[in-house]
Amino acid sequence: MKGIAKWLHERNLFPYALLVPVLIFFIVWNILPLLWMVGLSFYKYDITTGEPLKFLGMDNYQAIFRDHGIWQALSKTFLFVILAVGLETILGMALGFLFWGSSKMPGRRLALTLLFSPMILTPVAAGTFFRLIYDPVFGIANYYLEAWFGLKINFLGDVKWAYPAVLMVDIWMWTPFMILMTLAALGSVPKAELEAAQVDRLPWIRRLWHIVLPHGKFILMLGILLRTIDAFKTMDLIYTMTSGGPGNATELIAISLFRKAFEAFTMGNASALAIISLLIAIAFTSIYLYILNYKERRA
Amino acid sequence: MLSIKVVNLSKHFKNTVAIRQLNFEFAASRVTCLLGPSGCGKTTLLRIIAGLESPTSGDIYFGDERVNDLSTSRRNIGMVFQYPVVYRGISVYRNIELPLLREKIPASERKKRVTDVIDLLGLGEVADKDITQLDNASRQKVAMARAIARQPKIILFDEPITNVDTSSKLVLKRALKEVMQQLKQTIIYVTHDQTEAMTLADQIVLMKDGEIVQCDEPRKLYLQPESTFGGWFLGNPGMNFFEGECAQAEGKSMVKAPLFPAPLLLDEAYTGDRITIGIRPEHIKVAASPSAGSVRGKVVDNLITIGGQRLLTVEVNDQRIKAKVDHKLGSSLRDQVWLELPLDRIMLFDRDGSRIHRKFAGFRAG
Repeated sequence: MKGIAKWLHERNLFPYALLVPVLIFFIVWNILPLLWMVGLSFYKYDITTGEPLKFLGMDNYQAIFRDHGIWQALSKTFLFVILAVGLETILGMALGFLFWGSSKMPGRRLALTLLFSPMILTPVAAGTFFRLIYDPVFGIANYYLEAWFGLKINFLGDVKWAYPAVLMVDIWMWTPFMILMTLAALGSVPKAELEAAQVDRLPWIRRLWHIVLPHGKFILMLGILLRTIDAFKTMDLIYTMTSGGPGNATELIAISLFRKAFEAFTMGNASALAIISLLIAIAFTSIYLYILNYKERRA
Repeated sequence: MLSIKVVNLSKHFKNTVAIRQLNFEFAASRVTCLLGPSGCGKTTLLRIIAGLESPTSGDIYFGDERVNDLSTSRRNIGMVFQYPVVYRGISVYRNIELPLLREKIPASERKKRVTDVIDLLGLGEVADKDITQLDNASRQKVAMARAIARQPKIILFDEPITNVDTSSKLVLKRALKEVMQQLKQTIIYVTHDQTEAMTLADQIVLMKDGEIVQCDEPRKLYLQPESTFGGWFLGNPGMNFFEGECAQAEGKSMVKAPLFPAPLLLDEAYTGDRITIGIRPEHIKVAASPSAGSVRGKVVDNLITIGGQRLLTVEVNDQRIKAKVDHKLGSSLRDQVWLELPLDRIMLFDRDGSRIHRKFAGFRAG
């Protein structure tokens, strides 16, 4: 053993040797499946029939572009991302500021812990809770709606209501993440600047604009970026509540993908869709990074 | 203009006492420096006055108004922090104007105030630049301008030039001095740098361990410290201290000390048996040959130059003493020197370090 270490040391290879285990895992579990998927997306591969793989070229991609359902799912997903991330950001920042300003409030720690609990739940568990809460017969939501307003809404079964209902759950689940990011961003603001703003009697909007955002924008943008990528992939939370229904009212792109792969078992087709999703996610990331670096590049 | 008064003020942090039972009145329209080593409570005191920290007990008055319950923004103060605070994304001009936007003053008056302070602090050339293009020293100037332009009755400075590089320090100090001479506000200036305090202050409040040790105008504080702490803390280096034995003889008090060739008589009786003798290094006369009243000493260190003067360490009867001499004289001195301590420059302290108001009248005859 000692001999190997010495041999590596002499050739300055020791740091690389330490990286090898991680790299092996990364290659086996990430890179290879990705390459495999890229390859698969050019083939017809139906695992139910057991037929041998058949090369199709770009046929899978063309099929996706012609598929009306996919376009619908994509537009639903984009709307979902915009609404969910937008509302989570606004709510999260507002609550983050509130918590920041209430440092002397008794029970603040407990309140924060409780507030963060949705984020810690498994999406499947959260989905199950809300399916029960939304239940038209036994659900607590309908109990109160009926008691107070005399209304009865089949949240997850009604085409009109299903989409806002699942959106609500996503916001409930992930707003705490944006609160956390806001608190982190506020933590990065030099204390003296906030104190100076108090001394100078600046209104809160100016404090936000001239102090908090210039210092905290990287952290906030990172939060928004992570949420965007995650919202784009939303699948388990909604699948447990509606399985994409009623009809295809809540069928986001990730659910379409899941159905193609594990309900229809058309693996080649699903792979092509996965590649397209990946490219869209990369595009999102690039846009954010571009915005983030815009000022620095201009200077 | 407003004076600031603190009454029985105390501030405790978890395990430490930052300020204990402080009573003081900061004179209106004057520059008061809070001076002391780090951890003496000077910044805490300033922050309590600003309302950024609340006292554990005691009251704060601006003039006759008790301000304990007023929030920072309602105390109408200006403040310059150690860290140069600027508001980002806007020009220098807008930075200075920002706090004025909420004042009920006409636009023409607002413009005049901003341009006046810009002229006063020499920011004219950069007024239209984006704030992020400025270096730290200029940013600190902008922060000062912002505090001044609003014309609050009280302006607080919390070590404003500590975080600035040495060459800009002088520029800022000059700007501050000029500004302070023109302002009629009550100014409190916190610093741990004695030269800053000496240059800028009308009066210096010397603090130690959360208490005020002495308050006097700079020169008096330097020449007549009321405690050994004051003598040690001020000066570069601080005062020399050594012990003397005090005895009563022929109805007079007499002091024997290693740095004097003969016992000394006090002008008035003192009953203690020990006395601390203090003298500043620059007041000691050093010569290469003996004279009346001098003692022989051995130079143990003659390497350091401070502000063009040589700092000598001389050993006399096992007692080490620091003396500052002219550079030319210092470099010509050999191992053996004669020291004379002028009696009128000597300060006397008791065992606890408080000043004794006695003087040496002269050597005992014989």
